[in-house]
Amino acid sequence: MKKIIIVLSISMLFFGNSITAQDSKTGKTQFMVRGYGHAGLDYLKTESGTSLSYVGSSFAPIFLFKQGDRFIFETELEFVLQKNQLEIGLEYANLGYIINKYVMVRAGKFLLPFGTFMERLHPAWINRLSTKPLGFGHDGIAPASGIGIELRGAAPIGGSTINYSVYSTNGPQLKIGDDEPDEVGMLNFDNYIDNNNNKAIGGRIGFLPFFNSSMEVGVSYYTGKVGDKGSEYEDVKASLWAFDFSYVKQVSPLKGILDIKAQYNLNNVSDAYYTVNNDARDTSAVYTFTNSSNAYYAQLTYRPLMVGNAFLKNLELIGRYSQLNTPEGSLWESDINEATIGLNYWITWRQVVKVNYSFINSRGGHDAEDASLQKSNAFFVHWAIGF
Amino acid sequence: MKKLLVIGTMIISLSSIVFLTGSCSSQRELAAQKSGAQLWADNCLRCHNLPSPAAYNDVEWETIGLHMKERANMTTEQIEKIVSFIQTAN
Repeated sequence: MKKIIIVLSISMLFFGNSITAQDSKTGKTQFMVRGYGHAGLDYLKTESGTSLSYVGSSFAPIFLFKQGDRFIFETELEFVLQKNQLEIGLEYANLGYIINKYVMVRAGKFLLPFGTFMERLHPAWINRLSTKPLGFGHDGIAPASGIGIELRGAAPIGGSTINYSVYSTNGPQLKIGDDEPDEVGMLNFDNYIDNNNNKAIGGRIGFLPFFNSSMEVGVSYYTGKVGDKGSEYEDVKASLWAFDFSYVKQVSPLKGILDIKAQYNLNNVSDAYYTVNNDARDTSAVYTFTNSSNAYYAQLTYRPLMVGNAFLKNLELIGRYSQLNTPEGSLWESDINEATIGLNYWITWRQVVKVNYSFINSRGGHDAEDASLQKSNAFFVHWAIGF
Repeated sequence: MKKLLVIGTMIISLSSIVFLTGSCSSQRELAAQKSGAQLWADNCLRCHNLPSPAAYNDVEWETIGLHMKERANMTTEQIEKIVSFIQTAN
Protein backbone atom coordinates (compact mmCIF):
# COMPACT_ATOMS: atom_id res chain seq x y z
CA MET A 1 0.00 0.00 0.00
CA LYS A 2 2.84 2.35 0.95
CA LYS A 3 4.57 1.60 -2.36
CA ILE A 4 1.40 2.45 -4.29
CA ILE A 5 1.09 5.79 -2.46
CA ILE A 6 4.73 6.65 -3.10
CA VAL A 7 4.52 5.76 -6.82
CA LEU A 8 1.26 7.71 -7.10
CA SER A 9 2.79 10.74 -5.39
CA ILE A 10 5.87 10.75 -7.64
CA SER A 11 3.64 10.37 -10.72
CA MET A 12 1.56 13.33 -9.56
CA LEU A 13 4.67 15.44 -9.12
CA PHE A 14 5.70 14.83 -12.73
CA PHE A 15 2.13 15.25 -13.91
CA GLY A 16 1.90 18.55 -12.05
CA ASN A 17 5.05 19.84 -13.68
CA SER A 18 3.85 18.89 -17.14
CA ILE A 19 0.60 20.77 -16.62
CA THR A 20 2.20 23.95 -15.31
CA ALA A 21 4.58 23.98 -18.26
CA GLN A 22 1.60 24.64 -20.53
CA ASP A 23 0.92 28.13 -19.21
CA SER A 24 0.21 29.60 -22.60
CA LYS A 25 -2.83 27.33 -23.08
CA THR A 26 -4.53 26.91 -19.77
CA GLY A 27 -7.89 25.30 -19.29
CA LYS A 28 -10.39 25.52 -16.48
CA THR A 29 -8.65 22.70 -14.67
CA GLN A 30 -5.48 23.64 -12.87
CA PHE A 31 -3.28 21.35 -10.83
CA MET A 32 -0.19 22.08 -8.83
CA VAL A 33 1.96 20.61 -6.13
CA ARG A 34 3.07 22.66 -3.19
CA GLY A 35 4.24 21.59 0.23
CA TYR A 36 7.14 21.69 2.59
CA GLY A 37 9.90 19.63 4.13
CA HIS A 38 12.61 19.84 6.69
CA ALA A 39 15.73 18.12 7.97
CA GLY A 40 17.93 18.74 10.97
CA LEU A 41 19.87 17.76 14.03
CA ASP A 42 18.33 17.24 17.49
CA TYR A 43 20.18 17.08 20.78
CA LEU A 44 18.35 16.15 23.97
CA LYS A 45 19.77 16.17 27.49
CA THR A 46 17.68 14.65 30.26
CA GLU A 47 18.51 13.55 33.80
CA SER A 48 18.95 10.00 32.52
CA GLY A 49 21.28 10.79 29.65
CA THR A 50 21.77 12.48 26.31
CA SER A 51 20.87 11.78 22.71
CA LEU A 52 22.11 13.31 19.49
CA SER A 53 20.52 12.43 16.18
CA TYR A 54 19.98 13.70 12.69
CA VAL A 55 16.24 13.90 12.12
CA GLY A 56 13.67 14.69 9.56
CA SER A 57 13.84 14.40 5.86
CA SER A 58 10.13 14.79 6.37
CA PHE A 59 8.21 15.57 3.23
CA ALA A 60 4.69 17.02 3.09
CA PRO A 61 3.43 17.46 -0.47
CA ILE A 62 0.20 19.39 -0.96
CA PHE A 63 -1.81 18.66 -4.10
CA LEU A 64 -4.18 21.36 -5.31
CA PHE A 65 -6.80 20.78 -8.00
CA LYS A 66 -8.72 23.87 -9.09
CA GLN A 67 -11.69 23.55 -11.41
CA GLY A 68 -13.14 26.86 -12.56
CA ASP A 69 -13.12 29.81 -10.18
CA ARG A 70 -15.12 28.26 -7.35
CA PHE A 71 -14.06 24.65 -6.83
CA ILE A 72 -10.88 23.33 -5.27
CA PHE A 73 -9.77 19.95 -4.02
CA GLU A 74 -6.74 19.94 -1.77
CA THR A 75 -4.87 17.20 -0.01
CA GLU A 76 -1.69 16.94 2.01
CA LEU A 77 0.30 13.81 2.66
CA GLU A 78 3.01 13.59 5.27
CA PHE A 79 5.98 11.26 4.90
CA VAL A 80 7.99 10.93 8.10
CA LEU A 81 10.72 8.54 9.19
CA GLN A 82 9.94 7.34 12.70
CA LYS A 83 11.54 4.52 14.63
CA ASN A 84 13.30 3.25 11.51
CA GLN A 85 10.06 3.09 9.56
CA LEU A 86 8.44 5.29 6.98
CA GLU A 87 5.11 6.56 8.22
CA ILE A 88 2.62 8.12 5.84
CA GLY A 89 -0.24 10.25 7.01
CA LEU A 90 -3.15 11.88 5.26
CA GLU A 91 -3.16 15.30 6.89
CA TYR A 92 -6.22 16.46 4.99
CA ALA A 93 -8.17 15.76 1.82
CA ASN A 94 -11.15 18.01 1.25
CA LEU A 95 -13.32 19.52 -1.41
CA GLY A 96 -14.12 23.21 -1.27
CA TYR A 97 -16.71 25.24 -3.13
CA ILE A 98 -17.36 28.97 -2.99
CA ILE A 99 -21.15 29.36 -2.70
CA ASN A 100 -21.04 33.15 -2.70
CA LYS A 101 -18.58 35.80 -1.59
CA TYR A 102 -19.43 35.27 2.07
CA VAL A 103 -19.79 31.48 2.24
CA MET A 104 -17.56 28.58 1.27
CA VAL A 105 -18.38 24.93 1.94
CA ARG A 106 -15.77 22.27 2.64
CA ALA A 107 -16.26 18.54 3.00
CA GLY A 108 -13.92 15.65 3.67
CA LYS A 109 -11.00 15.56 6.04
CA PHE A 110 -10.01 19.13 6.80
CA LEU A 111 -7.77 20.98 9.22
CA LEU A 112 -10.01 22.19 12.02
CA PRO A 113 -10.04 25.91 12.74
CA PHE A 114 -9.66 25.20 16.42
CA GLY A 115 -7.52 28.19 17.23
CA THR A 116 -5.03 29.04 14.51
CA PHE A 117 -1.85 27.10 15.18
CA MET A 118 -2.74 23.76 13.62
CA GLU A 119 -4.69 25.22 10.75
CA ARG A 120 -2.36 28.02 9.68
CA LEU A 121 0.97 27.96 11.50
CA HIS A 122 2.18 24.38 11.88
CA PRO A 123 4.05 23.82 8.56
CA ALA A 124 7.80 23.66 9.13
CA TRP A 125 8.54 26.72 7.00
CA ILE A 126 5.84 28.80 8.75
CA ASN A 127 6.34 27.64 12.34
CA ARG A 128 9.18 29.84 13.58
CA LEU A 129 10.53 27.15 15.89
CA SER A 130 11.56 23.55 15.24
CA THR A 131 8.92 22.13 17.55
CA LYS A 132 5.22 22.64 18.11
CA PRO A 133 4.06 24.14 21.41
CA LEU A 134 3.23 21.65 24.17
CA GLY A 135 -0.20 20.08 23.76
CA PHE A 136 -0.49 20.95 20.07
CA GLY A 137 -0.23 18.53 17.15
CA HIS A 138 -0.35 14.75 17.17
CA ASP A 139 -0.99 13.41 20.70
CA GLY A 140 -2.00 16.90 21.78
CA ILE A 141 -5.08 17.88 23.75
CA ALA A 142 -6.66 19.76 20.85
CA PRO A 143 -7.86 18.47 17.49
CA ALA A 144 -5.82 19.04 14.34
CA SER A 145 -8.28 17.73 11.78
CA GLY A 146 -11.64 16.03 11.44
CA ILE A 147 -13.88 14.39 8.88
CA GLY A 148 -17.11 16.20 8.20
CA ILE A 149 -18.55 19.30 6.60
CA GLU A 150 -17.88 22.97 7.20
CA LEU A 151 -19.17 26.39 6.20
CA ARG A 152 -16.67 29.24 6.38
CA GLY A 153 -16.24 32.75 5.16
CA ALA A 154 -15.24 36.29 5.87
CA ALA A 155 -16.69 39.76 5.47
CA PRO A 156 -15.52 43.33 5.89
CA ILE A 157 -17.35 45.29 8.58
CA GLY A 158 -16.46 48.93 8.48
CA GLY A 159 -12.68 49.03 8.59
CA SER A 160 -12.60 45.67 10.34
CA THR A 161 -12.86 42.11 9.08
CA ILE A 162 -14.67 39.19 10.60
CA ASN A 163 -14.23 35.56 9.67
CA TYR A 164 -16.19 32.54 10.79
CA SER A 165 -16.35 28.79 10.54
CA VAL A 166 -19.01 26.32 11.64
CA TYR A 167 -18.58 22.61 11.17
CA SER A 168 -19.79 19.16 12.06
CA THR A 169 -17.43 16.17 12.28
CA ASN A 170 -17.39 12.60 13.49
CA GLY A 171 -15.67 13.93 16.60
CA PRO A 172 -13.06 12.54 18.96
CA GLN A 173 -13.24 9.20 20.75
CA LEU A 174 -12.80 8.52 24.45
CA LYS A 175 -9.93 6.17 25.25
CA ILE A 176 -11.05 3.54 27.74
CA GLY A 177 -7.79 1.67 28.09
CA ASP A 178 -8.31 -1.12 25.56
CA ASP A 179 -4.96 -0.46 23.89
CA GLU A 180 -3.08 1.52 26.50
CA PRO A 181 -4.44 1.32 30.06
CA ASP A 182 -2.40 4.35 31.07
CA GLU A 183 -4.40 6.55 28.71
CA VAL A 184 -7.94 5.98 30.02
CA GLY A 185 -9.95 9.17 29.79
CA MET A 186 -7.80 10.73 27.05
CA LEU A 187 -9.38 11.88 23.81
CA ASN A 188 -8.33 10.26 20.56
CA PHE A 189 -8.57 12.91 17.85
CA ASP A 190 -7.42 10.50 15.13
CA ASN A 191 -10.78 8.76 15.26
CA TYR A 192 -12.00 8.95 11.72
CA ILE A 193 -14.77 6.34 11.80
CA ASP A 194 -17.50 7.58 14.08
CA ASN A 195 -17.85 5.53 17.25
CA ASN A 196 -21.38 6.79 17.93
CA ASN A 197 -24.25 8.49 16.14
CA ASN A 198 -23.63 11.82 17.79
CA LYS A 199 -21.90 14.32 15.55
CA ALA A 200 -19.51 16.81 17.07
CA ILE A 201 -20.11 20.45 16.23
CA GLY A 202 -17.74 23.33 16.42
CA GLY A 203 -16.84 26.72 15.12
CA ARG A 204 -14.53 29.67 15.30
CA ILE A 205 -15.10 33.39 15.05
CA GLY A 206 -12.13 35.59 14.24
CA PHE A 207 -12.15 39.36 14.45
CA LEU A 208 -9.57 41.70 12.90
CA PRO A 209 -10.46 45.07 14.42
CA PHE A 210 -7.89 47.23 12.65
CA PHE A 211 -7.91 48.57 9.14
CA ASN A 212 -4.46 47.07 8.43
CA SER A 213 -5.47 43.58 9.70
CA SER A 214 -2.52 43.64 12.09
CA MET A 215 -4.45 42.08 14.96
CA GLU A 216 -6.72 39.05 15.07
CA VAL A 217 -8.53 37.60 18.07
CA GLY A 218 -10.45 34.38 17.81
CA VAL A 219 -12.60 32.09 19.89
CA SER A 220 -13.26 28.45 19.01
CA TYR A 221 -15.57 25.84 20.48
CA TYR A 222 -15.90 22.13 19.75
CA THR A 223 -18.23 19.69 21.48
CA GLY A 224 -19.72 16.24 21.11
CA LYS A 225 -20.26 12.88 22.77
CA VAL A 226 -17.09 10.81 22.74
CA GLY A 227 -18.01 7.39 24.17
CA ASP A 228 -18.64 4.28 22.08
CA LYS A 229 -22.25 3.64 21.12
CA GLY A 230 -23.89 1.13 23.44
CA SER A 231 -21.09 1.31 26.02
CA GLU A 232 -21.35 2.67 29.56
CA TYR A 233 -19.49 5.73 28.25
CA GLU A 234 -22.07 6.55 25.58
CA ASP A 235 -23.15 9.80 27.25
CA VAL A 236 -19.67 11.06 28.11
CA LYS A 237 -19.24 14.42 26.46
CA ALA A 238 -16.25 16.60 25.61
CA SER A 239 -16.26 20.40 25.43
CA LEU A 240 -13.22 22.16 24.08
CA TRP A 241 -12.43 25.85 23.93
CA ALA A 242 -9.62 27.74 22.26
CA PHE A 243 -8.74 31.42 22.39
CA ASP A 244 -6.19 32.76 19.95
CA PHE A 245 -4.41 36.04 19.44
CA SER A 246 -2.17 37.38 16.71
CA TYR A 247 -0.50 40.75 16.25
CA VAL A 248 1.91 41.38 13.38
CA LYS A 249 3.14 44.90 12.81
CA GLN A 250 5.99 46.71 11.16
CA VAL A 251 7.44 48.89 13.95
CA SER A 252 9.52 51.74 12.55
CA PRO A 253 11.43 52.63 15.76
CA LEU A 254 12.53 49.00 16.00
CA LYS A 255 13.33 48.88 12.28
CA GLY A 256 11.61 45.57 11.99
CA ILE A 257 8.54 43.40 12.24
CA LEU A 258 7.07 42.34 15.53
CA ASP A 259 4.99 39.18 15.54
CA ILE A 260 3.09 38.07 18.65
CA LYS A 261 1.12 34.85 18.66
CA ALA A 262 -0.73 33.11 21.47
CA GLN A 263 -3.31 30.40 21.94
CA TYR A 264 -4.99 28.85 24.96
CA ASN A 265 -6.75 25.48 24.73
CA LEU A 266 -9.11 24.14 27.38
CA ASN A 267 -10.44 20.63 27.22
CA ASN A 268 -13.19 19.27 29.52
CA VAL A 269 -14.59 15.72 29.49
CA SER A 270 -17.58 14.88 31.67
CA ASP A 271 -17.07 12.61 34.68
CA ALA A 272 -16.85 8.87 34.17
CA TYR A 273 -15.68 5.80 36.07
CA TYR A 274 -12.90 3.94 34.31
CA THR A 275 -11.87 0.33 34.85
CA VAL A 276 -8.14 -0.27 34.56
CA ASN A 277 -6.92 -3.85 34.26
CA ASN A 278 -3.53 -4.92 35.54
CA ASP A 279 -2.81 -8.02 33.45
CA ALA A 280 0.40 -8.82 35.31
CA ARG A 281 -1.41 -9.09 38.61
CA ASP A 282 -4.71 -10.20 37.11
CA THR A 283 -6.53 -7.44 38.96
CA SER A 284 -8.60 -4.44 38.02
CA ALA A 285 -9.43 -1.11 39.66
CA VAL A 286 -12.15 1.45 39.08
CA TYR A 287 -11.28 5.09 39.38
CA THR A 288 -12.41 8.55 38.35
CA PHE A 289 -10.93 12.03 38.15
CA THR A 290 -11.85 15.53 37.01
CA ASN A 291 -11.01 15.23 33.34
CA SER A 292 -9.83 18.71 32.46
CA SER A 293 -6.68 19.61 30.52
CA ASN A 294 -5.25 22.84 29.24
CA ALA A 295 -2.35 23.95 27.11
CA TYR A 296 -1.18 27.30 25.93
CA TYR A 297 1.67 29.10 24.25
CA ALA A 298 2.80 32.67 23.77
CA GLN A 299 5.41 33.56 21.18
CA LEU A 300 7.26 36.74 20.33
CA THR A 301 9.19 37.12 17.09
CA TYR A 302 11.27 40.06 15.92
CA ARG A 303 12.90 40.43 12.52
CA PRO A 304 14.92 43.58 11.73
CA LEU A 305 13.72 43.70 8.16
CA MET A 306 14.24 47.45 7.75
CA VAL A 307 17.92 47.66 8.68
CA GLY A 308 20.37 48.31 5.88
CA ASN A 309 22.61 45.30 6.45
CA ALA A 310 21.63 42.45 4.13
CA PHE A 311 22.72 39.77 6.59
CA LEU A 312 21.02 41.27 9.65
CA LYS A 313 17.70 41.76 7.90
CA ASN A 314 17.47 38.00 7.33
CA LEU A 315 17.92 37.18 10.99
CA GLU A 316 14.98 36.59 13.28
CA LEU A 317 14.80 36.30 17.06
CA ILE A 318 12.11 34.16 18.69
CA GLY A 319 11.02 33.41 22.21
CA ARG A 320 8.19 31.06 23.13
CA TYR A 321 6.74 29.78 26.38
CA SER A 322 4.29 26.91 26.42
CA GLN A 323 2.66 24.82 29.09
CA LEU A 324 0.61 21.63 29.25
CA ASN A 325 -1.45 20.46 32.21
CA THR A 326 -3.30 17.16 32.09
CA PRO A 327 -5.85 15.95 34.70
CA GLU A 328 -4.79 15.61 38.29
CA GLY A 329 -5.43 12.09 39.50
CA SER A 330 -5.34 10.53 36.03
CA LEU A 331 -2.73 7.96 35.03
CA TRP A 332 -1.44 10.51 32.51
CA GLU A 333 -1.32 13.41 34.96
CA SER A 334 1.39 15.83 33.94
CA ASP A 335 2.55 19.37 34.36
CA ILE A 336 5.06 20.38 31.71
CA ASN A 337 6.42 23.74 30.72
CA GLU A 338 8.89 24.69 28.05
CA ALA A 339 10.75 27.89 27.29
CA THR A 340 12.39 28.07 23.88
CA ILE A 341 14.61 30.69 22.36
CA GLY A 342 15.59 30.74 18.73
CA LEU A 343 17.68 32.47 16.12
CA ASN A 344 16.58 31.96 12.52
CA TYR A 345 18.24 32.87 9.29
CA TRP A 346 15.96 33.30 6.27
CA ILE A 347 17.75 32.15 3.10
CA THR A 348 14.72 33.11 1.00
CA TRP A 349 11.14 34.06 1.91
CA ARG A 350 10.28 30.36 2.20
CA GLN A 351 13.54 28.75 3.27
CA VAL A 352 14.89 29.04 6.78
CA VAL A 353 17.61 27.67 9.04
CA LYS A 354 16.40 27.53 12.65
CA VAL A 355 18.68 27.25 15.66
CA ASN A 356 16.63 26.71 18.82
CA TYR A 357 17.29 25.87 22.45
CA SER A 358 14.60 24.64 24.86
CA PHE A 359 14.44 24.44 28.64
CA ILE A 360 11.86 21.87 29.71
CA ASN A 361 10.47 21.16 33.18
CA SER A 362 8.15 18.18 33.44
CA ARG A 363 6.34 16.38 36.19
CA GLY A 364 4.40 13.20 35.49
CA GLY A 365 3.09 12.03 32.15
CA HIS A 366 2.17 8.46 31.28
CA ASP A 367 5.73 7.63 30.24
CA ALA A 368 7.27 8.99 33.46
CA GLU A 369 8.51 6.58 36.12
CA ASP A 370 7.49 8.86 38.98
CA ALA A 371 5.99 12.30 39.61
CA SER A 372 9.24 14.05 40.49
CA LEU A 373 10.34 17.16 38.63
CA GLN A 374 12.48 16.35 35.60
CA LYS A 375 14.59 19.01 33.95
CA SER A 376 15.77 18.61 30.41
CA ASN A 377 17.23 20.69 27.63
CA ALA A 378 17.01 20.36 23.89
CA PHE A 379 18.95 21.89 21.03
CA PHE A 380 17.74 21.90 17.44
CA VAL A 381 19.22 22.95 14.14
CA HIS A 382 16.61 22.58 11.42
CA TRP A 383 16.53 23.57 7.78
CA ALA A 384 12.98 23.99 6.46
CA ILE A 385 11.66 24.78 3.03
CA GLY A 386 8.24 25.59 1.63
CA PHE A 387 7.65 25.00 -2.07
CA MET B 1 -29.12 23.47 26.24
CA LYS B 2 -25.42 24.25 26.63
CA LYS B 3 -24.94 24.09 22.87
CA LEU B 4 -27.74 26.62 22.39
CA LEU B 5 -26.17 28.87 25.01
CA VAL B 6 -22.82 28.77 23.25
CA ILE B 7 -24.33 29.37 19.80
CA GLY B 8 -26.42 32.21 21.29
CA THR B 9 -23.33 33.79 22.84
CA MET B 10 -21.51 33.58 19.52
CA ILE B 11 -24.43 35.19 17.67
CA ILE B 12 -24.71 37.99 20.24
CA SER B 13 -20.94 38.62 20.04
CA LEU B 14 -21.12 38.69 16.26
CA SER B 15 -24.08 41.06 16.29
CA SER B 16 -22.34 43.40 18.76
CA ILE B 17 -19.26 43.53 16.56
CA VAL B 18 -21.42 44.24 13.51
CA PHE B 19 -23.28 46.98 15.41
CA LEU B 20 -20.13 48.58 16.82
CA THR B 21 -18.16 48.62 13.60
CA GLY B 22 -20.76 48.66 10.86
CA SER B 23 -21.69 52.29 11.32
CA CYS B 24 -18.23 53.57 10.50
CA SER B 25 -18.78 54.43 6.85
CA SER B 26 -15.47 56.26 6.31
CA GLN B 27 -13.57 53.21 7.53
CA ARG B 28 -15.67 51.04 5.22
CA GLU B 29 -14.85 53.25 2.25
CA LEU B 30 -11.16 53.22 3.12
CA ALA B 31 -11.19 49.43 3.39
CA ALA B 32 -12.86 49.12 -0.01
CA GLN B 33 -10.18 51.34 -1.54
CA LYS B 34 -7.28 49.26 -0.26
CA SER B 35 -5.02 48.18 -3.09
CA GLY B 36 -3.92 44.64 -3.83
CA ALA B 37 -0.37 45.58 -2.81
CA GLN B 38 -1.58 46.83 0.59
CA LEU B 39 -3.69 43.75 1.15
CA TRP B 40 -0.78 41.51 0.09
CA ALA B 41 1.50 43.23 2.61
CA ASP B 42 -1.09 43.27 5.41
CA ASN B 43 -2.46 39.76 5.11
CA CYS B 44 0.27 37.37 3.93
CA LEU B 45 2.53 38.57 6.72
CA ARG B 46 0.04 37.50 9.37
CA CYS B 47 1.30 33.92 8.99
CA HIS B 48 4.42 33.84 6.82
CA ASN B 49 6.93 36.04 4.97
CA LEU B 50 5.72 37.99 1.98
CA PRO B 51 5.84 35.68 -1.02
CA SER B 52 7.81 36.73 -4.06
CA PRO B 53 5.40 37.34 -6.96
CA ALA B 54 8.01 35.75 -9.23
CA ALA B 55 7.82 32.44 -7.38
CA TYR B 56 4.87 31.20 -9.45
CA ASN B 57 3.23 32.01 -12.75
CA ASP B 58 -0.15 33.73 -13.19
CA VAL B 59 -2.13 30.50 -13.43
CA GLU B 60 -0.48 29.04 -10.36
CA TRP B 61 -1.22 32.21 -8.38
CA GLU B 62 -4.93 31.74 -9.11
CA THR B 63 -4.81 28.24 -7.63
CA ILE B 64 -2.77 29.44 -4.66
CA GLY B 65 -5.21 32.33 -4.21
CA LEU B 66 -8.15 29.96 -3.85
CA HIS B 67 -6.13 27.75 -1.50
CA MET B 68 -5.17 30.75 0.65
CA LYS B 69 -8.69 32.17 0.69
CA GLU B 70 -9.72 28.91 2.26
CA ARG B 71 -6.75 28.48 4.60
CA ALA B 72 -6.55 32.03 5.92
CA ASN B 73 -10.31 32.58 5.69
CA MET B 74 -10.01 35.85 3.77
CA THR B 75 -12.74 37.76 1.98
CA THR B 76 -13.34 37.17 -1.72
CA GLU B 77 -12.52 40.79 -2.50
CA GLN B 78 -9.25 40.67 -0.59
CA ILE B 79 -8.01 37.55 -2.36
CA GLU B 80 -9.07 38.77 -5.81
CA LYS B 81 -7.16 42.03 -5.32
CA ILE B 82 -4.07 40.26 -4.00
CA VAL B 83 -3.97 37.79 -6.90
CA SER B 84 -4.45 40.62 -9.43
CA PHE B 85 -1.60 42.58 -7.84
CA ILE B 86 0.76 39.61 -7.85
CA GLN B 87 -0.08 38.81 -11.45
CA THR B 88 0.91 42.32 -12.47
CA ALA B 89 4.04 42.31 -10.29
CA ASN B 90 5.61 39.00 -11.29
